[in-house]
Amino acid sequence: MRRGVGLTLLAAALSVLVSSCGNGVIEKSTDGVPPAEATGTLRVLLPSFPPSTKGKEAFQKVVDDFHKTYPKMKVEPDFATYKNLNEKMSTSIAAGIPYDVMVTGVGWVQPFASKNIFEDLGKYGVTPDVIKEKSTPALIPAVTYDKKLYAYPLIADARAVALRKSAFREAGLDPSKPPKSLAELKVAAEKLTKRDKNGNITRSGFDLASATGFRQSFTTFLASTGTPLYVGGEPNFDNKAGLDTLLWIKSMINNVQPYGQTNAAQQPLVLTGEAAMGIVNGGVDCSADGIGQKNCDDLEFFRFDSGKEIEYVGGDLASIGSRSRHKDAAWGFIQTLTKPTTLDAIAKLNKKIPAYKDASNSPQAKSNPLSQFVADGLVYAVNENEVPSNWLEMRGNFDIQLTQAVLGQKDPAKVLHNLAGQSR
Amino acid sequence: MSTTLERPALRTSRKVPPSKDSRTLLKSQIRTGWALLAPALLHSGIFIVIPVVAVLVLSLTNYSFGDTWAWVGFGNYADLFGDVDFLASLWHTVLYAIVVIPISMAISLAVALGLNQKIRGLSFFRTAFYIPTVTATVAVATIWLWIYNPGSGLANGFLSLFGFAPNRWLADPATALPSLMVVGIWQGLGTKVIIYLAALQGVSRDLLESSEIDGANRWQKFANVTWPAIGPVQFFVLITSIVGTFQVFDLVYVMTQGGPGSETRVLVMDIYQNAFQDLKLGYASAETVIMMIVIALFIGVGRLLQKADAND
Repeated sequence: MRRGVGLTLLAAALSVLVSSCGNGVIEKSTDGVPPAEATGTLRVLLPSFPPSTKGKEAFQKVVDDFHKTYPKMKVEPDFATYKNLNEKMSTSIAAGIPYDVMVTGVGWVQPFASKNIFEDLGKYGVTPDVIKEKSTPALIPAVTYDKKLYAYPLIADARAVALRKSAFREAGLDPSKPPKSLAELKVAAEKLTKRDKNGNITRSGFDLASATGFRQSFTTFLASTGTPLYVGGEPNFDNKAGLDTLLWIKSMINNVQPYGQTNAAQQPLVLTGEAAMGIVNGGVDCSADGIGQKNCDDLEFFRFDSGKEIEYVGGDLASIGSRSRHKDAAWGFIQTLTKPTTLDAIAKLNKKIPAYKDASNSPQAKSNPLSQFVADGLVYAVNENEVPSNWLEMRGNFDIQLTQAVLGQKDPAKVLHNLAGQSR
Repeated sequence: MSTTLERPALRTSRKVPPSKDSRTLLKSQIRTGWALLAPALLHSGIFIVIPVVAVLVLSLTNYSFGDTWAWVGFGNYADLFGDVDFLASLWHTVLYAIVVIPISMAISLAVALGLNQKIRGLSFFRTAFYIPTVTATVAVATIWLWIYNPGSGLANGFLSLFGFAPNRWLADPATALPSLMVVGIWQGLGTKVIIYLAALQGVSRDLLESSEIDGANRWQKFANVTWPAIGPVQFFVLITSIVGTFQVFDLVYVMTQGGPGSETRVLVMDIYQNAFQDLKLGYASAETVIMMIVIALFIGVGRLLQKADAND
């Protein structure tokens, strides 16, 4: 593996040169061919189905459904994770065998659309009105680039805040009046933080869910002040609101939560009792196989509000590869993926919310109080908003530089100014 | 008494042309030589020369996996020297190499000297030192993640016996890179020990006995007989260590992902990030070229040191 990256880069470079000499076509196009007669292999990259037996079974149902329309098309899935999504996409392009269907997340669409890697879905009748009518309107900015739509939402990855009622009562706080603004959160978190005799934190007062980087938490807290991270691709954080938010995060780390705190199960710390309050993602298993009903009953959910009530919402977004030889079939597959029963299955597998109109009444929302809470709160959805086309690069830059500011290695104001300058 | 063998004088000063038979033999040998070399040349051409040329070409473009690209000349190189992440990665890699290479070589040599003695349980120790090398880095890193765990790790547990406060090894910017260096040194011992051991076993017994007869002590024997004898092996270990440490990636990827901040970000990780995460293949190719140049510089310095050592 040590030499692997170097060799892979060299091989990728070689592939690029070789594939640029030819047209990279390895299959005949099936576009325009009647679905019943279309033959070939549809390559599908998606992080929506875990590569477990359950995940594979659920995916096979989608394939079986797709085969009712495209009986002769073979479907080749690649069960990726968000961590290796980019390298799978880049190496597939370099190898000259790009994916036909690619499922990515919020922040991916604009960079890939700007490189002509995704197909404009307008050709298939996807418009903002269609998304508003059938899907999650909050995700329209995330699928839009240059006023065109390049992806269709599958599931919404919504985040809320949870508190432990018992911890609140123990600290003399009223759990029915959760702290919502940044200032209130800090005061409460400091009261809720427990330490040993040496001053080491034994229970965090607030879990910022930022073990590896502060990009999403910064976006969330900033949005709660009514300030979206980007507006029309332009940075909107190199200002007082941005600096106040970053300084607030800095004042929280190693004060109410140690930097880098996670648990082995990668669970939100408030669910395991390692934090009294903290950010949680869109579902909780209250059964005996999960955290148990008693633990669930001890939780209260709320949303950040430092001037604007918000709920951070990411999501899985399905696109068609612009170099696909089977674009019609790829759209057919996305239509199969977006059937409510399929979305319910994906939502259950990922503990997220199906991105269809009435998500509040979905089986996933009804299955646990947290999913119900975040589904009801989709109207408060925010995320990075209209990111610039170099967002893939900026994601890493945010993670690194915000951490440097929070750990006191760099001046927070300079960090924000630098990040704004790097956004293009 | 010594004898000198002298080449008999040629009868004529004129060069005698080779006979037809010897010419045929020579041509046949040349053909055979090329035939035997061909697979290696083909392999090197396809997997080394062409990709290197491709990287050089790509480094002059802004290619990013999309449909369009343009020549940018040396623009990527100019950008690199203003890129704080690249500069930090380069510095961390150089620092990692400067610390890890000499320490791991010194420890390996010391261990090899120990294992070259007739001690009990020799096979066990040789196996024990080699195991980290044949163990997957991901597995090694997972164990070390536990060792460095601030809450329940072995490192803090051990230090607490002496009353030291717990450290956040990999989460603390001051200790993250040194913590990785320790793992790198430990993991690289096995191969070096085996190479040194083979070299030590090749040191002339006659010379060692002669020096003993001349009254040399252990240190003098090591400095004047063993050390010069293993010189070529030292150079080999140095070169492979330089290449290995400059290409460190898996350890960092699994243990810290380059963090906290960019405190453990190394060159290959930065290349990987730029190429496969940020999709800036042209830019990453320029970084790769810089890395090749830096490795070549380090090897050049190694050669100079080796020559100076040999002249001493």
